[in-house]
Amino acid sequence: MVAAAQENATSTAVRAKARRQRDEELLVWPDLVFVEFIAAMVFLLSLTALSIAINAPLLDRANPGVTPNPSKAPWYFLNLQELLLHMDPALAGVVVPTIALIALGAIPYFDNTHDGQGEWLSTPRAGRLTFLGAAVGSIGTILLILYDASKHVVIFEGLTGSKWPVGLNFLRTSRALQNDLPWPEWSKKIPLGDFIPSTQLGLPKIVLDLNIAEFLVAQIIPVSTMVGLPILMSIVLWKTGVAKTRRDHMIAQFSGFIAVFIVLTIVGTAFRGQGMELLPPWLVKPPIS
Amino acid sequence: MASTERPEGRGMGDRIYDAIFHSYFWQSIFRSGYPNTPRNQMLAVATNVFLHLHPTRIHRTHVKITHTYCLGGLSFFLFLGLTITGVLLMFYYVPSVERAYEDIMRLETDVRFGILMRNLHRWMAHGMVIMVLMHMMRVFYTGAYKPPREFNWVVGVVLLVLTLLLSFTGYLLPWDQLAFWAITVGTNMVGSAPLLGEPNRFALIGGFEVGPNALIRFYTLHVIALPLLASVFMAVHFWRIRRDGGLARPL
Ligand code: HEM
Repeated sequence: MVAAAQENATSTAVRAKARRQRDEELLVWPDLVFVEFIAAMVFLLSLTALSIAINAPLLDRANPGVTPNPSKAPWYFLNLQELLLHMDPALAGVVVPTIALIALGAIPYFDNTHDGQGEWLSTPRAGRLTFLGAAVGSIGTILLILYDASKHVVIFEGLTGSKWPVGLNFLRTSRALQNDLPWPEWSKKIPLGDFIPSTQLGLPKIVLDLNIAEFLVAQIIPVSTMVGLPILMSIVLWKTGVAKTRRDHMIAQFSGFIAVFIVLTIVGTAFRGQGMELLPPWLVKPPIS
Repeated sequence: MASTERPEGRGMGDRIYDAIFHSYFWQSIFRSGYPNTPRNQMLAVATNVFLHLHPTRIHRTHVKITHTYCLGGLSFFLFLGLTITGVLLMFYYVPSVERAYEDIMRLETDVRFGILMRNLHRWMAHGMVIMVLMHMMRVFYTGAYKPPREFNWVVGVVLLVLTLLLSFTGYLLPWDQLAFWAITVGTNMVGSAPLLGEPNRFALIGGFEVGPNALIRFYTLHVIALPLLASVFMAVHFWRIRRDGGLARPL
């Protein structure tokens, strides 16, 4: 008897909850189907208008003998091409994107709380963290790019009116650490040999000989920058109490990542001229062959 | 047919309406008329092969444009548009080093609406990359990747990669300087990977430099392999949305 009554009670409660949810629901036809239809039509019409107005580019026939300067990948890979200018090509072209994609896919497994679920930026600190993450990501990236283009030297010389001290030449760019410091001869080729039997698997030979300065500039510094700065950001946000939950940290990191991605893409697209030199967009000319 | 039973004075419009929407043929396609009761509207969604990707009811916050900005739907819409314009482009395009560039030129000058098709395909392709990226951001900032939707986020990341690859493989096909050098730069990045880079690059472009083999490989990937793969993952993506109880809601 009691059990039945209880069951009855719960099922009424459940039914009441279900009814309340029903009240919050709309019918897909017409409410959603029409929204979708209108979105599709607006897009179709504006894309058609765009296609009538602007033609897709078609340059001269492909010619392997004539290399345009600069040669650029499609825009969505120009972020990687920009990275390529600052570090080892294998790192920029393969390792970073692979790890970035794996990290992207792993987001839900790190932040598996229900905080902020199903509503735009609904946790208490979400808006501020989006802003902070994006600011740190974009400003940090811009500063690093400017450093590698020796713009701090230009600013120093402009402000003081004197030349950049010769003794500090190794601080002109990150590459200068290798070229303008007196690295001892032995450090330029530490023979580690090619003992990995990759050729027996039909793969290319791997020579592990090490140039310490090169390794520092092309690998250690970029990796510690790309791993260290985000970690540093999270630590600071945590210590200052701005980020408290996993969702908080995720928002800051993701916003930072998106900002870096956008800045690198824009710089690679609009600010890199002949020889991939850093230029303001109005000085970037179409490639010459 | 039915019009003989109707009282006199029915206008031309009514009779045309009847002739179309009450005709045997029409009713053989659509078994019922315009769904104007909630019950019929739900049936219309549930029993239509295309509409039944949707649930029949949906929470009111998800109908608001500002919740999704239709970004996922528009990604899919662009995918469909790209398929249609892509099939039309295939009529005129031969993926050989001798013909590819000339075919695109002839498509632009000699084929009626050819240039429109090419432009649409091009701008939709860029649009899709942008839409998918923005969709990912919308999913992130609405916290819609949280349990039980973890895996659908992963499926989404795969779709993002496939979208980029689709665009990248298509980039080579016009075989102009832009295409050739963009793909050369792009595949050189693959080649720089430690250990497997060079073999992978060789497999991707079928040689040591971008040439006829690369063209046919990219073409095959672009028109059949990647679209098929993307369709499979989209099917899983959409199915999972339903399985996970529709779009995410606050708990
Ligand atoms: C070809 C690419 C893609 C297509 C066609 C697509 C399509 C869709 C559609 C139509 C929806 C329904 C809601 C909406 O429109 O926003 C959706 C939801 C979703 N998508 Fe995608 N998507 C794609 C890529 C992605 C990517 C790159 C991600 C994330 C990395 C992703 C993750 C999700 C998740 C987690 C949901 C559930 C959202 C919720 O519950 O509110 N999708 N997708």
